[in-house]
Amino acid sequence: MSAPERTGTWMPVAALPRIAAARLVRAACVVALAMAVVALPAAAGAQSRALIISGLGGEPRFAERFRNLAQSLATALHARFGVSDANIAWLGEDESFKDAHYKGQSTKVAIEREVKAIQASARPGDPVAIFLIGHGAGNEAESRISLPGPDLTVTDLQRLLDGLSAQRVALVNLTSASGDMLPLLAAPGRVVITATKTSYERNESHFAEHFVAAFAGDVADTDKDGRVSLLEAYRYAVRETKRGYDDAGKIQTEHSQLSDNGSKQGAADPTGRDGTGVLARRWFFDSRAPGGASADARVAGLYSEKFALEDQVDSLRMKKAAMDAATYEAELERVLVALSRKAREIRQAEGRP
Amino acid sequence: MSRIAAFERAATRAAVAMAGALAALAMTVAAAPAAAAAQGFPRPEAPQSYADARLAIATGRYPEAIAFLEKMPRNDTSWFAAQADLARALALVSRYDDAERVARAAAGMPGGREALTALGEVLRTRGRLDSADSAFARAVRERASDSLMARVNLALLDQRRGRRARADSAFDRFIDVYNANAAALSSREMMAVAIAVRELGAGNPDLFRDALRAFDRAVAIDPANVDARIAIGELFLAKYNASEAQKTLDEVLGVNPSHPEALVAAARRAAFDGQPGADSSLAQALTVSPEYVPARVMVAQRLVDVERYDDAAREAERALKVDPSSAEALAVLATARFVAGDERGFNAARERALAINPRDAGFYVTLAEGAGRVRRYAVAADFARQAVAADSTNWKARSVLGMNLLRLGRIAEGKAALDASFKGDPYDVWVKNTLDLLDTFKNYDETRTPHALLMIEKTESPVLSIYLSDLAERAYTTFAQRYRYEPPPPIRIEVYRSHADFSVRTVGLAGLGALGVSFGTTLAFDSPAARDAGPFNWASTVWHELAHTFTLGATDHRVPRWLSEGLSVWEEHRARPGWGQSVSPEFLGAFQQGRLVPVSRMNDGFMRPAFPEQVILSYYQASLICDLIARDFGEQAIVALLGEYKAGRTTDEAFRAVLKESPAAFDKRFDAYVKSRFARALAALVSDGPEYPAGMLPDELAARADSMPGSWRTQMLAAEALTRARRPADAIRALERAHALFPEYGGAGSPAAALSGLYLQRGDTAKAMAMLGVVAQSDESAFEANMMLGRLALARRDTAAAVDAFERAVWINPFPADLHSTLATIAAARKDHARAIRERRALVALDPVDKAEALYQLAVAYRDGGDATAAKRAVLGALEEAPNFGKAQDLLLAIVEGGSP
Repeated sequence: MSAPERTGTWMPVAALPRIAAARLVRAACVVALAMAVVALPAAAGAQSRALIISGLGGEPRFAERFRNLAQSLATALHARFGVSDANIAWLGEDESFKDAHYKGQSTKVAIEREVKAIQASARPGDPVAIFLIGHGAGNEAESRISLPGPDLTVTDLQRLLDGLSAQRVALVNLTSASGDMLPLLAAPGRVVITATKTSYERNESHFAEHFVAAFAGDVADTDKDGRVSLLEAYRYAVRETKRGYDDAGKIQTEHSQLSDNGSKQGAADPTGRDGTGVLARRWFFDSRAPGGASADARVAGLYSEKFALEDQVDSLRMKKAAMDAATYEAELERVLVALSRKAREIRQAEGRP
Repeated sequence: MSRIAAFERAATRAAVAMAGALAALAMTVAAAPAAAAAQGFPRPEAPQSYADARLAIATGRYPEAIAFLEKMPRNDTSWFAAQADLARALALVSRYDDAERVARAAAGMPGGREALTALGEVLRTRGRLDSADSAFARAVRERASDSLMARVNLALLDQRRGRRARADSAFDRFIDVYNANAAALSSREMMAVAIAVRELGAGNPDLFRDALRAFDRAVAIDPANVDARIAIGELFLAKYNASEAQKTLDEVLGVNPSHPEALVAAARRAAFDGQPGADSSLAQALTVSPEYVPARVMVAQRLVDVERYDDAAREAERALKVDPSSAEALAVLATARFVAGDERGFNAARERALAINPRDAGFYVTLAEGAGRVRRYAVAADFARQAVAADSTNWKARSVLGMNLLRLGRIAEGKAALDASFKGDPYDVWVKNTLDLLDTFKNYDETRTPHALLMIEKTESPVLSIYLSDLAERAYTTFAQRYRYEPPPPIRIEVYRSHADFSVRTVGLAGLGALGVSFGTTLAFDSPAARDAGPFNWASTVWHELAHTFTLGATDHRVPRWLSEGLSVWEEHRARPGWGQSVSPEFLGAFQQGRLVPVSRMNDGFMRPAFPEQVILSYYQASLICDLIARDFGEQAIVALLGEYKAGRTTDEAFRAVLKESPAAFDKRFDAYVKSRFARALAALVSDGPEYPAGMLPDELAARADSMPGSWRTQMLAAEALTRARRPADAIRALERAHALFPEYGGAGSPAAALSGLYLQRGDTAKAMAMLGVVAQSDESAFEANMMLGRLALARRDTAAAVDAFERAVWINPFPADLHSTLATIAAARKDHARAIRERRALVALDPVDKAEALYQLAVAYRDGGDATAAKRAVLGALEEAPNFGKAQDLLLAIVEGGSP
């Protein structure tokens, strides 16, 4: 049964009409199940929030790299995905830095302050992403990120995340040696990404560069919906990290992982379709809802039909392995032609080229 | 999967230094008057006592020992033992008649039982097996002090004559001897036990370790027991532990550099490791003992390897004069006769061998290995099967069978044979490595084309198969027409991402310095991703190896190595400008210095190179020979030559029959050809001028370059100094002169390569492109030069030149997505739809992150090329990835509705 997967989404509230339009015709129990599993946000107008923490570089080249990555990410979230300046906080190694999002040094105290600010301003169900960029160290319960002053440990993070239990949280740890944090932070309804598989992967990590590039450039929107999900960014970074090592003829020394189903064991290659990456697949920073919120009943109806066709494509893809190839291809063609025609109808109805 | 237990000693083994032991022996029993000492122990000038004489034998001073022993009075209490030593010493220097006379005389005297075993050994060395048998039996009967050694020799004789069960039964009794009396055994008795246990190892490989322990104990009892030490070295080598073998043999040869058996074992060890030194060790052995059979046999074997069959047969015959029963000599003689096409000679040798031992599996193993070494793998497999039939416990036979079946592409059968071999001999590193490699075959895809089966690692198969399929079919068409031969399909082409895996597939061990190999219809290559192989043109490598498939097949695998290689390089040159080796200063230098091998001995250039670079130079030389034959005698002469080889002719016969001249005469023709073809470069290279003292200033070098415009080296030295001095204009002047003197040369470090960079620095794009073109045309692996050339051409809107350059780059490194994308875009703009489609397919095959876009672009390429069906399939693929992909939706609708997106 594929429906719960699709309804188990963290799309911003603005997209809810789309879900409703597509699903209300279906069995109510499906929606009910989804609501129970995912705890969909209740309030309309959910706003994404991002806390970016870049740690100590240790040497100039790392300091510059971490600074650039954090700045690039903050800029992309605002400029490309419409996250408001007020909802982006960047804490870094420098005491001050000229950037609209820079909120000072990434001390433990400052981090706790920013998390409290999010707690105070975010509504239940709002998506909150916390990014860690820098050098990781320690292992298991001693895992930490190097910061000015006392380091931030995984225990600190657990406590901070506990304070955001009403929000939908993604913890993206892009530091080296970050792998041991995943089992300690993974929880139902929470996306946790680490750049490495274990704390023993301590070499310089390149995953962060590619992960940030996924948001900063037009490179990761692989499903061509005009948006970049956390899963797309993750998968892009995985692929490019591997390619970097392959091209350099080096043995890969970092293996990222993602958990978004509460599993303490991260998935290296989540698909968004097989039980791994399902939530990440629906995590977007933008609040744009393509078409679903149209006030025009005819357009809304067309969207509803389009969503139904999309469901058929999803359903068909899931059955692919069990189907005869020719039958699959014929059915795929039928559904995709119908979907393409529906998209054309919508464009025409909306007066778009 | 862990298979092997390496054949090593237990860590607790007490090392017993031989030199020290001999020193002690000399000090205690010889009272040596003068202590000389290369090895740090006393070395008397001439033996003064029996002990001195034994020491002289142990240290290789055989004539001195012999002289003393011959004069020992009969009333000496050690006389009989001394006579045995004398006989053995005489045999060590090939004085077999004298050895037999001495041993026989002593044995015939009252109390002569102590000489019987020595007599038996001498008789055995001369192939008089029945007489040897009698002598050993008598030694046993008369309870000679070395009767245990006589008894093991009897069993060895049984084994040699194919009485395996009787021999094994006798060997088995030595275990009882050991268990009952180990502490009381002398060194030679312990050695007899060790030999017996070693022979039982064929049925139980664990016993090899016991044999090693027994040999070690023999050495511990008598550190001067050279024979035991050599046996240890040989055992290590037989069990593939060459480093331990070398240590042991070095120890022996350090004390006795003249021991023929140790020298031959050392030669085997060097050959095993593929290191130089085998020939010199053999030469040394034959200097000491000119008729030493194992040395002659190994020399013959090595002559077979370089396809000098008549010389090999002569060596084998010489060995057989000493020992007409030598199974090894008969086997190598039979091999030489067989591969030379001498059926009568082969049958005669086989009959002689089988008359001695009708179940001589080793005979067939030698044949199989010899046939395999001259690339006749099917024949090798047949002989190996006969070996297995003769003796099912001959594990070497099974491994040779397995390896050759794999070379024939019969993977399942080959693996089964190797599995069986490995059960019997778990120390065989070749088999172990190969089985490990075969375990990884599940990670490979198989793609079929009309004439080939491509086996490529799954991660690379999608992209490589696109190019390889087309290349293999083009090669098939080209070569089938040229050589009038069609190999039985499929040609199996294996591509290895790991150079080590390729190496194991080829020779069973890592470290092979090649990129591709052709076993006929089975080919193996390094993938272009095998970075430890370095950058190389994988397409020309494939072309080269596929040419072998046809030249080997057209001659029933009888084409000599040099001609097959020469034709393969020649075919590379013909296939595409820039492919294959090209002329270099090193080649012309070797030509001028007379360091190239003559045509009449071209195989030596490949198989017995006189200097390390000679192999590489020989490839190009052989290709020039082919070029010359085609020029002066027509291409049909090449086909006719192959026909002669197929009929079993030698190079001399083939040249006389087809070219109507001898190889020696052809040598002169070739010499004139090279001088004519490269006249200008040769003149420039020879004109080196005076010496160039270190520290010459750039100005001095520049002045000298100006005054010697015809000297290539002078120009290059000046250019290098001027470039370092950051005087690019002056450097360019020298480099331009150098390039004009040797315009064909564009390899790394060439004037053209240097000029391209300097021109670019000056912004002179046109000249830079011209020089990059020279580099691209003479260095088939010049990826960066081609990329730069392509980019420059593109900037000048010369899309034809850009396509040429990028196309060359793709065949060097097919993995960069940007390269495919650029080439696809240019091809599409030029309405070169086939190329655009190929490049778009490659981009999809590279498994890009944005697969939907790649598939969409492929669909567009198909549509532009007029293939709506393929376009629809591709765009459906794109939409399967991204159902809301607007451009793809439009294209799909355009295709199904007949409009345009």
